[in-house]
Amino acid sequence: MSRTDEPIVLGIETSCDETGVGIVRGHTLLANTIASSMDEHARFGGVVPEVASRAHLEAMAPTVEGALAAAGLRLSDVDAVAVTAGPGLAGALLVGVAAAKAYAMGLGVPLYGVNHLAAHVAVDQLEHGPLPKPAIALLVSGGHSSLLLVPDVAQDVVSLGSTVDDAAGEAFDKVARVLGLPFPGGPYIDRAAREGSGTAVAFPRGKYDDGTLDFSFSGLKTAVARWVEAREAAGEPVSVADVAASFQEAVVDVLTRKALQACARYDVKDLLIGGGVAANSRLRVLAQERCDAAGVRLRVPRPGLCTDNGAMVAALGANLVAAGVDPSSLDIPADSSLPITTVHV
Amino acid sequence: MTDRPQSREFRAATAEETRALGARIATLLGPGDLVVLAGPLGAGKTTLVQGLAEGLKVRGPITSPTFVIARVHPSLSGGPALVHADAYRIGGALEIDDLDLDASLAESVTVVEWGEGLVEGLSEDRLEILIKRFEGEERPAAGVPADAEERVIRLTPIGPRWSTTSLTHP
Repeated sequence: MSRTDEPIVLGIETSCDETGVGIVRGHTLLANTIASSMDEHARFGGVVPEVASRAHLEAMAPTVEGALAAAGLRLSDVDAVAVTAGPGLAGALLVGVAAAKAYAMGLGVPLYGVNHLAAHVAVDQLEHGPLPKPAIALLVSGGHSSLLLVPDVAQDVVSLGSTVDDAAGEAFDKVARVLGLPFPGGPYIDRAAREGSGTAVAFPRGKYDDGTLDFSFSGLKTAVARWVEAREAAGEPVSVADVAASFQEAVVDVLTRKALQACARYDVKDLLIGGGVAANSRLRVLAQERCDAAGVRLRVPRPGLCTDNGAMVAALGANLVAAGVDPSSLDIPADSSLPITTVHV
Repeated sequence: MTDRPQSREFRAATAEETRALGARIATLLGPGDLVVLAGPLGAGKTTLVQGLAEGLKVRGPITSPTFVIARVHPSLSGGPALVHADAYRIGGALEIDDLDLDASLAESVTVVEWGEGLVEGLSEDRLEILIKRFEGEERPAAGVPADAEERVIRLTPIGPRWSTTSLTHP
Protein backbone atom coordinates (compact mmCIF):
# COMPACT_ATOMS: atom_id res chain seq x y z
CA MET A 1 0.00 0.00 0.00
CA SER A 2 1.09 3.54 -0.55
CA ARG A 3 2.23 5.59 2.38
CA THR A 4 -0.33 8.30 1.74
CA ASP A 5 -4.07 7.98 1.40
CA GLU A 6 -3.91 8.37 -2.37
CA PRO A 7 -3.44 5.23 -4.48
CA ILE A 8 -0.34 4.60 -6.58
CA VAL A 9 -1.46 3.67 -10.10
CA LEU A 10 0.76 2.12 -12.76
CA GLY A 11 -0.41 3.00 -16.29
CA ILE A 12 0.53 1.05 -19.44
CA GLU A 13 0.07 2.40 -22.97
CA THR A 14 0.85 0.38 -26.13
CA SER A 15 -1.83 1.45 -28.60
CA CYS A 16 0.61 2.42 -31.37
CA ASP A 17 4.36 3.00 -31.63
CA GLU A 18 5.20 4.02 -28.06
CA THR A 19 5.62 1.70 -25.11
CA GLY A 20 4.63 4.03 -22.29
CA VAL A 21 4.62 3.37 -18.55
CA GLY A 22 3.55 6.06 -16.12
CA ILE A 23 3.16 6.10 -12.36
CA VAL A 24 0.97 8.51 -10.41
CA ARG A 25 -0.02 8.95 -6.78
CA GLY A 26 -3.52 10.33 -7.08
CA HIS A 27 -2.93 13.00 -9.68
CA THR A 28 0.68 13.62 -8.75
CA LEU A 29 2.98 12.48 -11.54
CA LEU A 30 5.79 10.26 -10.24
CA ALA A 31 7.19 8.80 -13.48
CA ASN A 32 6.54 8.85 -17.21
CA THR A 33 8.85 6.52 -19.11
CA ILE A 34 8.62 5.88 -22.85
CA ALA A 35 10.33 3.47 -25.24
CA SER A 36 9.62 4.05 -28.91
CA SER A 37 9.80 1.54 -31.71
CA MET A 38 10.18 4.38 -34.21
CA ASP A 39 13.89 3.68 -34.66
CA GLU A 40 13.17 0.09 -35.52
CA HIS A 41 10.46 1.16 -37.95
CA ALA A 42 12.86 3.61 -39.56
CA ARG A 43 15.14 0.69 -40.40
CA PHE A 44 12.28 -0.90 -42.35
CA GLY A 45 11.17 2.39 -43.90
CA GLY A 46 7.79 2.26 -42.22
CA VAL A 47 5.73 0.67 -39.51
CA VAL A 48 5.67 -3.09 -39.42
CA PRO A 49 2.87 -4.22 -37.11
CA GLU A 50 4.69 -7.43 -36.24
CA VAL A 51 7.76 -5.38 -35.36
CA ALA A 52 5.65 -2.96 -33.34
CA SER A 53 4.17 -5.80 -31.30
CA ARG A 54 7.54 -7.42 -30.76
CA ALA A 55 9.09 -4.08 -29.81
CA HIS A 56 6.36 -3.54 -27.22
CA LEU A 57 6.98 -7.02 -25.89
CA GLU A 58 10.72 -6.46 -25.55
CA ALA A 59 10.34 -2.98 -24.09
CA MET A 60 7.55 -3.74 -21.62
CA ALA A 61 9.38 -5.08 -18.56
CA PRO A 62 12.39 -2.73 -18.86
CA THR A 63 10.06 0.27 -19.25
CA VAL A 64 8.11 -0.73 -16.15
CA GLU A 65 11.38 -1.13 -14.25
CA GLY A 66 12.58 2.24 -15.57
CA ALA A 67 9.39 3.95 -14.41
CA LEU A 68 9.60 2.35 -10.95
CA ALA A 69 13.22 3.46 -10.62
CA ALA A 70 12.32 7.00 -11.71
CA ALA A 71 9.53 7.10 -9.12
CA GLY A 72 11.71 5.57 -6.42
CA LEU A 73 9.19 2.80 -5.88
CA ARG A 74 9.08 -0.96 -5.84
CA LEU A 75 6.53 -3.00 -7.75
CA SER A 76 4.93 -3.96 -4.45
CA ASP A 77 4.08 -0.28 -3.84
CA VAL A 78 1.61 -0.29 -6.75
CA ASP A 79 -2.05 -0.17 -5.70
CA ALA A 80 -3.72 -0.52 -9.10
CA VAL A 81 -2.81 -1.15 -12.74
CA ALA A 82 -4.45 0.74 -15.64
CA VAL A 83 -3.97 -0.08 -19.31
CA THR A 84 -5.12 1.21 -22.69
CA ALA A 85 -7.70 -1.35 -23.88
CA GLY A 86 -8.38 0.53 -27.13
CA PRO A 87 -8.63 2.04 -29.64
CA GLY A 88 -5.36 1.37 -31.48
CA LEU A 89 -3.44 -1.30 -33.37
CA ALA A 90 -4.85 -4.67 -32.33
CA GLY A 91 -1.55 -6.52 -31.95
CA ALA A 92 0.10 -3.60 -30.16
CA LEU A 93 -2.78 -3.18 -27.69
CA LEU A 94 -2.70 -6.88 -26.97
CA VAL A 95 0.83 -6.71 -25.53
CA GLY A 96 -0.04 -3.95 -23.08
CA VAL A 97 -3.30 -5.58 -22.02
CA ALA A 98 -1.60 -8.93 -21.44
CA ALA A 99 1.20 -7.32 -19.44
CA ALA A 100 -1.23 -5.30 -17.34
CA LYS A 101 -3.23 -8.41 -16.50
CA ALA A 102 -0.04 -10.21 -15.47
CA TYR A 103 1.10 -7.34 -13.22
CA ALA A 104 -2.37 -6.95 -11.68
CA MET A 105 -2.72 -10.65 -11.05
CA GLY A 106 0.82 -11.06 -9.77
CA LEU A 107 0.47 -8.11 -7.39
CA GLY A 108 -3.09 -8.94 -6.40
CA VAL A 109 -4.27 -5.41 -7.23
CA PRO A 110 -7.24 -4.22 -9.34
CA LEU A 111 -6.98 -3.83 -13.12
CA TYR A 112 -8.60 -0.97 -15.06
CA GLY A 113 -8.86 -1.19 -18.88
CA VAL A 114 -9.34 2.33 -20.18
CA ASN A 115 -10.06 4.25 -23.37
CA HIS A 116 -7.03 5.82 -25.02
CA LEU A 117 -8.89 9.02 -25.97
CA ALA A 118 -10.35 9.57 -22.50
CA ALA A 119 -6.82 9.11 -21.13
CA HIS A 120 -5.63 11.96 -23.41
CA VAL A 121 -8.20 14.14 -21.62
CA ALA A 122 -7.43 12.87 -18.12
CA VAL A 123 -3.70 13.54 -18.39
CA ASP A 124 -4.23 17.29 -18.10
CA GLN A 125 -5.08 16.85 -14.40
CA LEU A 126 -1.41 15.95 -13.77
CA GLU A 127 -0.41 19.44 -14.87
CA HIS A 128 -3.40 21.73 -14.29
CA GLY A 129 -5.37 20.09 -11.50
CA PRO A 130 -8.95 18.83 -11.44
CA LEU A 131 -10.90 19.02 -14.70
CA PRO A 132 -13.80 21.44 -14.86
CA LYS A 133 -17.12 19.65 -15.26
CA PRO A 134 -18.09 19.80 -18.01
CA ALA A 135 -15.22 20.55 -20.39
CA ILE A 136 -14.91 20.44 -24.18
CA ALA A 137 -11.90 18.45 -25.38
CA LEU A 138 -10.28 18.68 -28.81
CA LEU A 139 -8.13 15.59 -29.41
CA VAL A 140 -5.87 15.79 -32.43
CA SER A 141 -3.18 13.26 -33.31
CA GLY A 142 -1.96 11.09 -36.14
CA GLY A 143 -4.86 8.74 -35.66
CA HIS A 144 -7.61 10.89 -34.16
CA SER A 145 -9.40 14.20 -34.65
CA SER A 146 -12.29 14.40 -32.21
CA LEU A 147 -14.37 16.93 -30.35
CA LEU A 148 -15.69 15.61 -27.04
CA LEU A 149 -18.04 16.87 -24.39
CA VAL A 150 -16.65 15.67 -21.08
CA PRO A 151 -19.12 15.92 -18.19
CA ASP A 152 -16.96 13.49 -16.15
CA VAL A 153 -13.82 11.89 -17.57
CA ALA A 154 -14.22 8.84 -15.34
CA GLN A 155 -17.82 8.11 -16.29
CA ASP A 156 -19.23 10.10 -19.14
CA VAL A 157 -17.63 11.26 -22.39
CA VAL A 158 -19.79 12.26 -25.37
CA SER A 159 -18.53 12.46 -28.96
CA LEU A 160 -19.60 15.70 -30.62
CA GLY A 161 -17.74 15.23 -33.89
CA SER A 162 -14.73 13.64 -35.52
CA THR A 163 -12.96 13.46 -38.85
CA VAL A 164 -14.92 11.96 -41.72
CA ASP A 165 -11.73 11.04 -43.59
CA ASP A 166 -8.11 11.77 -42.54
CA ALA A 167 -6.92 12.65 -39.03
CA ALA A 168 -5.27 16.06 -38.67
CA GLY A 169 -1.88 14.57 -37.81
CA GLU A 170 -2.11 12.25 -40.79
CA ALA A 171 -2.64 15.28 -43.05
CA PHE A 172 0.52 16.82 -41.55
CA ASP A 173 2.45 13.61 -42.27
CA LYS A 174 1.23 13.32 -45.84
CA VAL A 175 1.73 16.99 -46.70
CA ALA A 176 5.23 16.74 -45.22
CA ARG A 177 5.95 13.93 -47.64
CA VAL A 178 4.66 16.05 -50.56
CA LEU A 179 6.99 18.85 -49.45
CA GLY A 180 9.97 16.51 -49.03
CA LEU A 181 10.04 16.92 -45.24
CA PRO A 182 10.82 13.98 -42.90
CA PHE A 183 8.40 11.82 -40.88
CA PRO A 184 6.67 12.54 -38.55
CA GLY A 185 5.61 15.65 -40.42
CA GLY A 186 4.13 17.76 -37.62
CA PRO A 187 7.29 19.25 -36.09
CA TYR A 188 8.91 19.81 -39.50
CA ILE A 189 5.90 21.63 -40.93
CA ASP A 190 5.63 23.69 -37.75
CA ARG A 191 9.29 24.71 -38.10
CA ALA A 192 9.12 25.40 -41.86
CA ALA A 193 5.91 27.41 -41.42
CA ARG A 194 7.63 29.91 -39.11
CA GLU A 195 9.51 31.25 -42.16
CA GLY A 196 6.41 31.40 -44.35
CA SER A 197 3.07 33.17 -44.69
CA GLY A 198 -0.14 31.52 -43.58
CA THR A 199 -2.06 33.55 -46.15
CA ALA A 200 0.23 32.85 -49.12
CA VAL A 201 -2.08 30.18 -50.55
CA ALA A 202 -5.83 30.02 -49.84
CA PHE A 203 -6.14 26.28 -49.28
CA PRO A 204 -9.66 24.90 -48.78
CA ARG A 205 -11.07 24.43 -45.27
CA GLY A 206 -13.23 21.31 -45.27
CA LYS A 207 -16.65 21.38 -43.56
CA TYR A 208 -15.97 24.98 -42.48
CA ASP A 209 -19.57 26.16 -42.49
CA ASP A 210 -21.51 22.94 -42.57
CA GLY A 211 -23.00 23.34 -39.11
CA THR A 212 -21.53 20.05 -37.83
CA LEU A 213 -18.66 19.55 -35.42
CA ASP A 214 -17.02 17.07 -37.79
CA PHE A 215 -13.74 17.60 -39.60
CA SER A 216 -12.45 16.77 -43.07
CA PHE A 217 -8.78 17.03 -44.03
CA SER A 218 -8.63 14.84 -47.13
CA GLY A 219 -9.61 17.62 -49.55
CA LEU A 220 -7.01 19.93 -48.03
CA LYS A 221 -4.29 17.29 -48.40
CA THR A 222 -5.30 16.76 -52.03
CA ALA A 223 -5.34 20.49 -52.71
CA VAL A 224 -1.82 20.90 -51.35
CA ALA A 225 -0.56 17.96 -53.44
CA ARG A 226 -2.16 19.38 -56.59
CA TRP A 227 -0.92 22.89 -55.94
CA VAL A 228 2.67 21.72 -55.52
CA GLU A 229 2.42 19.39 -58.51
CA ALA A 230 1.06 22.16 -60.76
CA ARG A 231 3.85 24.56 -59.78
CA GLU A 232 6.50 21.92 -60.34
CA ALA A 233 4.99 20.99 -63.72
CA ALA A 234 5.11 24.65 -64.73
CA GLY A 235 8.73 24.87 -63.64
CA GLU A 236 7.88 27.42 -60.96
CA PRO A 237 9.64 27.41 -57.60
CA VAL A 238 7.66 26.11 -54.62
CA SER A 239 8.13 27.92 -51.33
CA VAL A 240 8.06 25.09 -48.80
CA ALA A 241 7.72 27.65 -46.02
CA ASP A 242 4.67 29.33 -47.56
CA VAL A 243 2.94 26.05 -48.44
CA ALA A 244 3.64 24.66 -44.95
CA ALA A 245 2.36 27.85 -43.29
CA SER A 246 -0.75 28.08 -45.46
CA PHE A 247 -1.57 24.40 -44.97
CA GLN A 248 -1.01 24.64 -41.23
CA GLU A 249 -3.18 27.75 -41.05
CA ALA A 250 -6.03 25.93 -42.79
CA VAL A 251 -5.82 23.03 -40.31
CA VAL A 252 -5.59 25.08 -37.12
CA ASP A 253 -8.23 27.55 -38.34
CA VAL A 254 -10.83 24.83 -38.74
CA LEU A 255 -9.78 22.96 -35.55
CA THR A 256 -10.04 26.03 -33.33
CA ARG A 257 -13.16 27.35 -35.07
CA LYS A 258 -15.07 24.12 -34.46
CA ALA A 259 -13.73 23.76 -30.91
CA LEU A 260 -15.02 27.23 -30.02
CA GLN A 261 -18.31 26.46 -31.79
CA ALA A 262 -18.63 23.40 -29.54
CA CYS A 263 -17.99 25.53 -26.44
CA ALA A 264 -20.66 28.01 -27.54
CA ARG A 265 -23.18 25.37 -28.51
CA TYR A 266 -22.93 23.54 -25.17
CA ASP A 267 -22.29 26.69 -23.14
CA VAL A 268 -18.98 25.33 -21.81
CA LYS A 269 -16.27 27.73 -20.69
CA ASP A 270 -13.30 25.33 -20.58
CA LEU A 271 -11.49 23.91 -23.60
CA LEU A 272 -8.80 21.26 -23.38
CA ILE A 273 -6.57 20.34 -26.32
CA GLY A 274 -4.70 17.04 -26.33
CA GLY A 275 -2.97 14.58 -28.66
CA GLY A 276 0.30 14.96 -30.53
CA VAL A 277 -0.92 17.81 -32.75
CA ALA A 278 -1.49 19.88 -29.58
CA ALA A 279 2.28 20.38 -29.66
CA ASN A 280 1.85 22.53 -32.80
CA SER A 281 2.92 26.06 -31.94
CA ARG A 282 0.47 27.81 -34.28
CA LEU A 283 -2.45 25.75 -32.93
CA ARG A 284 -1.56 26.85 -29.39
CA VAL A 285 -1.33 30.53 -30.38
CA LEU A 286 -4.54 30.65 -32.41
CA ALA A 287 -6.47 28.62 -29.82
CA GLN A 288 -5.37 31.02 -27.09
CA GLU A 289 -6.41 34.06 -29.18
CA ARG A 290 -9.81 32.66 -29.97
CA CYS A 291 -10.42 31.40 -26.42
CA ASP A 292 -9.51 34.83 -25.03
CA ALA A 293 -11.93 36.49 -27.46
CA ALA A 294 -14.71 34.08 -26.49
CA GLY A 295 -14.08 34.14 -22.74
CA VAL A 296 -13.12 30.45 -22.71
CA ARG A 297 -10.34 29.09 -20.50
CA LEU A 298 -7.77 27.02 -22.47
CA ARG A 299 -5.84 24.07 -21.06
CA VAL A 300 -3.09 22.38 -23.06
CA PRO A 301 -0.77 19.89 -21.34
CA ARG A 302 2.93 20.16 -22.04
CA PRO A 303 4.04 18.32 -25.21
CA GLY A 304 5.45 15.30 -23.34
CA LEU A 305 1.99 14.64 -21.92
CA CYS A 306 0.17 15.34 -25.23
CA THR A 307 1.82 12.58 -27.22
CA ASP A 308 1.06 8.97 -26.30
CA ASN A 309 2.37 8.08 -22.85
CA GLY A 310 1.70 5.86 -19.85
CA ALA A 311 1.07 8.69 -17.37
CA MET A 312 -2.20 9.57 -19.10
CA VAL A 313 -3.43 6.01 -18.61
CA ALA A 314 -2.39 6.09 -14.96
CA ALA A 315 -4.13 9.45 -14.53
CA LEU A 316 -7.43 8.09 -15.82
CA GLY A 317 -6.93 5.00 -13.68
CA ALA A 318 -6.60 7.26 -10.63
CA ASN A 319 -9.95 8.86 -11.54
CA LEU A 320 -11.57 5.45 -11.72
CA VAL A 321 -10.13 4.36 -8.37
CA ALA A 322 -11.26 7.63 -6.77
CA ALA A 323 -14.75 7.27 -8.25
CA GLY A 324 -15.07 3.77 -6.83
CA VAL A 325 -15.61 2.27 -10.27
CA ASP A 326 -15.58 -1.53 -10.38
CA PRO A 327 -12.25 -2.87 -11.66
CA SER A 328 -12.09 -4.64 -15.04
CA SER A 329 -12.22 -8.40 -15.18
CA LEU A 330 -8.99 -10.23 -15.95
CA ASP A 331 -10.38 -11.45 -19.27
CA ILE A 332 -10.99 -8.08 -20.94
CA PRO A 333 -10.01 -8.07 -24.61
CA ALA A 334 -8.00 -5.47 -26.49
CA ASP A 335 -10.54 -3.62 -28.65
CA SER A 336 -8.95 -1.87 -31.64
CA SER A 337 -12.12 0.13 -32.34
CA LEU A 338 -13.25 0.83 -28.77
CA PRO A 339 -15.78 3.70 -29.00
CA ILE A 340 -15.11 6.86 -27.01
CA THR A 341 -18.40 6.41 -25.18
CA THR A 342 -16.75 3.48 -23.37
CA VAL A 343 -14.39 5.21 -20.95
CA HIS A 344 -13.44 1.99 -19.21
CA VAL A 345 -14.12 -1.68 -19.94
CA MET B 1 0.99 -0.92 -64.03
CA THR B 2 0.71 -2.41 -67.50
CA ASP B 3 -2.47 -2.92 -69.42
CA ARG B 4 -4.00 -6.35 -69.18
CA PRO B 5 -6.57 -7.59 -71.64
CA GLN B 6 -9.23 -8.06 -68.97
CA SER B 7 -8.89 -4.56 -67.60
CA ARG B 8 -11.89 -2.30 -67.73
CA GLU B 9 -11.92 1.43 -67.29
CA PHE B 10 -14.60 3.67 -65.87
CA ARG B 11 -14.85 7.41 -65.58
CA ALA B 12 -16.02 9.35 -62.54
CA ALA B 13 -16.49 13.09 -62.88
CA THR B 14 -17.08 13.75 -59.19
CA ALA B 15 -16.43 12.23 -55.77
CA GLU B 16 -20.11 11.25 -55.74
CA GLU B 17 -19.64 9.26 -58.95
CA THR B 18 -16.53 7.60 -57.52
CA ARG B 19 -18.59 6.59 -54.49
CA ALA B 20 -21.43 5.29 -56.70
CA LEU B 21 -18.99 3.20 -58.75
CA GLY B 22 -17.63 1.78 -55.48
CA ALA B 23 -21.14 0.71 -54.51
CA ARG B 24 -21.56 -1.03 -57.86
CA ILE B 25 -18.18 -2.78 -57.58
CA ALA B 26 -19.31 -4.06 -54.17
CA THR B 27 -21.94 -6.19 -55.90
CA LEU B 28 -19.07 -8.23 -57.42
CA LEU B 29 -17.39 -8.91 -54.09
CA GLY B 30 -17.83 -11.73 -51.62
CA PRO B 31 -16.14 -13.36 -48.60
CA GLY B 32 -12.42 -13.94 -49.09
CA ASP B 33 -12.01 -11.38 -51.87
CA LEU B 34 -8.98 -9.12 -51.88
CA VAL B 35 -9.01 -5.69 -53.51
CA VAL B 36 -5.71 -3.85 -54.01
CA LEU B 37 -6.40 -0.16 -54.40
CA ALA B 38 -3.75 2.08 -55.96
CA GLY B 39 -3.51 5.70 -56.93
CA PRO B 40 -1.60 8.83 -55.94
CA LEU B 41 -2.22 10.94 -52.85
CA GLY B 42 -5.69 12.47 -53.09
CA ALA B 43 -6.82 10.27 -56.00
CA GLY B 44 -9.98 9.27 -54.16
CA LYS B 45 -9.09 5.86 -52.74
CA THR B 46 -10.90 6.34 -49.45
CA THR B 47 -13.86 7.83 -51.36
CA LEU B 48 -14.11 4.66 -53.43
CA VAL B 49 -13.96 2.54 -50.27
CA GLN B 50 -16.83 4.60 -48.84
CA GLY B 51 -18.83 3.50 -51.87
CA LEU B 52 -17.77 -0.13 -51.40
CA ALA B 53 -18.93 0.09 -47.79
CA GLU B 54 -22.31 1.47 -48.83
CA GLY B 55 -22.70 -1.36 -51.33
CA LEU B 56 -21.61 -4.00 -48.81
CA LYS B 57 -23.89 -2.51 -46.14
CA VAL B 58 -21.25 -2.47 -43.41
CA ARG B 59 -20.99 -0.28 -40.32
CA GLY B 60 -19.26 3.04 -40.96
CA PRO B 61 -17.85 5.53 -40.87
CA ILE B 62 -15.10 4.81 -43.41
CA THR B 63 -12.17 7.05 -42.58
CA SER B 64 -8.52 6.78 -43.50
CA PRO B 65 -6.94 3.74 -41.81
CA THR B 66 -3.40 5.02 -42.40
CA PHE B 67 -2.57 5.37 -38.72
CA VAL B 68 -4.21 2.23 -37.38
CA ILE B 69 -3.13 0.14 -40.42
CA ALA B 70 -6.48 -1.63 -40.64
CA ARG B 71 -10.05 -1.29 -39.49
CA VAL B 72 -12.83 -3.89 -39.47
CA HIS B 73 -16.33 -2.79 -40.47
CA PRO B 74 -18.87 -5.48 -39.53
CA SER B 75 -21.82 -6.15 -41.80
CA LEU B 76 -25.19 -4.65 -40.97
CA SER B 77 -27.00 -7.13 -43.17
CA GLY B 78 -25.53 -10.55 -42.40
CA GLY B 79 -23.01 -10.31 -45.24
CA PRO B 80 -19.20 -10.23 -45.13
CA ALA B 81 -17.35 -7.66 -43.04
CA LEU B 82 -15.17 -5.09 -44.79
CA VAL B 83 -11.53 -5.03 -43.71
CA HIS B 84 -10.11 -1.65 -44.76
CA ALA B 85 -6.34 -1.70 -44.58
CA ASP B 86 -3.69 0.82 -45.51
CA ALA B 87 -0.08 -0.03 -46.20
CA TYR B 88 1.07 3.62 -46.42
CA ARG B 89 3.10 3.29 -43.23
CA ILE B 90 4.09 -0.32 -43.77
CA GLY B 91 7.70 -1.09 -44.61
CA GLY B 92 8.55 -4.16 -46.67
CA ALA B 93 6.42 -6.93 -48.08
CA LEU B 94 3.19 -7.45 -46.22
CA GLU B 95 2.28 -10.81 -44.84
CA ILE B 96 -1.18 -11.75 -43.85
CA ASP B 97 -0.42 -11.60 -40.13
CA ASP B 98 0.99 -8.12 -40.60
CA LEU B 99 -2.49 -6.79 -41.25
CA ASP B 100 -2.70 -7.01 -37.50
CA LEU B 101 -6.25 -8.20 -37.43
CA ASP B 102 -8.34 -10.43 -35.29
CA ALA B 103 -10.89 -10.77 -38.06
CA SER B 104 -11.00 -13.77 -40.34
CA LEU B 105 -9.97 -12.59 -43.78
CA ALA B 106 -11.58 -15.64 -45.38
CA GLU B 107 -14.96 -14.39 -44.22
CA SER B 108 -14.37 -10.75 -45.09
CA VAL B 109 -13.86 -8.50 -48.09
CA THR B 110 -10.36 -7.04 -47.68
CA VAL B 111 -9.40 -3.76 -49.33
CA VAL B 112 -5.79 -2.58 -49.08
CA GLU B 113 -4.81 0.97 -49.98
CA TRP B 114 -1.20 1.72 -50.91
CA GLY B 115 -0.71 -2.03 -51.19
CA GLU B 116 0.77 -2.38 -54.67
CA GLY B 117 4.07 -4.21 -54.59
CA LEU B 118 3.45 -5.29 -50.98
CA VAL B 119 0.36 -7.45 -50.75
CA GLU B 120 0.39 -9.50 -53.92
CA GLY B 121 1.52 -12.51 -51.89
CA LEU B 122 -1.66 -12.41 -49.80
CA SER B 123 -3.77 -14.12 -52.44
CA GLU B 124 -3.36 -15.45 -55.95
CA ASP B 125 -6.76 -13.93 -56.69
CA ARG B 126 -7.30 -10.24 -56.38
CA LEU B 127 -9.06 -7.32 -57.97
CA GLU B 128 -6.69 -4.46 -58.66
CA ILE B 129 -8.21 -1.00 -58.84
CA LEU B 130 -6.14 1.93 -60.04
CA ILE B 131 -7.55 5.43 -59.65
CA LYS B 132 -5.93 8.30 -61.47
CA ARG B 133 -6.92 11.68 -62.66
CA PHE B 134 -8.14 11.81 -66.25
CA GLU B 135 -5.42 13.53 -68.23
CA GLY B 136 -6.71 13.06 -71.77
CA GLU B 137 -4.14 14.06 -74.34
CA GLU B 138 -3.00 17.07 -72.40
CA ARG B 139 -2.46 17.65 -68.74
CA PRO B 140 -5.35 19.50 -67.14
CA ALA B 141 -4.71 23.18 -66.66
CA ALA B 142 -3.05 24.07 -63.39
CA GLY B 143 -5.52 25.61 -61.02
CA VAL B 144 -8.43 23.31 -61.79
CA PRO B 145 -9.90 22.46 -58.38
CA ALA B 146 -8.90 18.94 -57.37
CA ASP B 147 -12.48 17.89 -56.72
CA ALA B 148 -13.58 19.00 -60.18
CA GLU B 149 -11.17 16.70 -61.97
CA GLU B 150 -12.43 13.62 -63.70
CA ARG B 151 -11.02 10.30 -62.49
CA VAL B 152 -10.21 7.20 -64.47
CA ILE B 153 -10.82 4.03 -62.48
CA ARG B 154 -9.29 0.88 -63.91
CA LEU B 155 -10.33 -2.56 -62.71
CA THR B 156 -7.96 -5.46 -63.35
CA PRO B 157 -8.99 -8.94 -62.18
CA ILE B 158 -6.14 -11.32 -61.38
CA GLY B 159 -6.37 -15.08 -60.87
CA PRO B 160 -8.89 -17.87 -61.41
CA ARG B 161 -11.42 -16.42 -58.92
CA TRP B 162 -12.16 -13.69 -61.44
CA SER B 163 -12.13 -15.80 -64.63
CA THR B 164 -15.88 -16.30 -64.44
CA THR B 165 -16.88 -12.84 -63.20
CA SER B 166 -17.81 -10.22 -65.74
CA LEU B 167 -16.66 -6.71 -64.98
CA THR B 168 -18.85 -5.29 -67.69
CA HIS B 169 -21.68 -4.19 -65.46
CA PRO B 170 -20.48 -3.51 -61.96
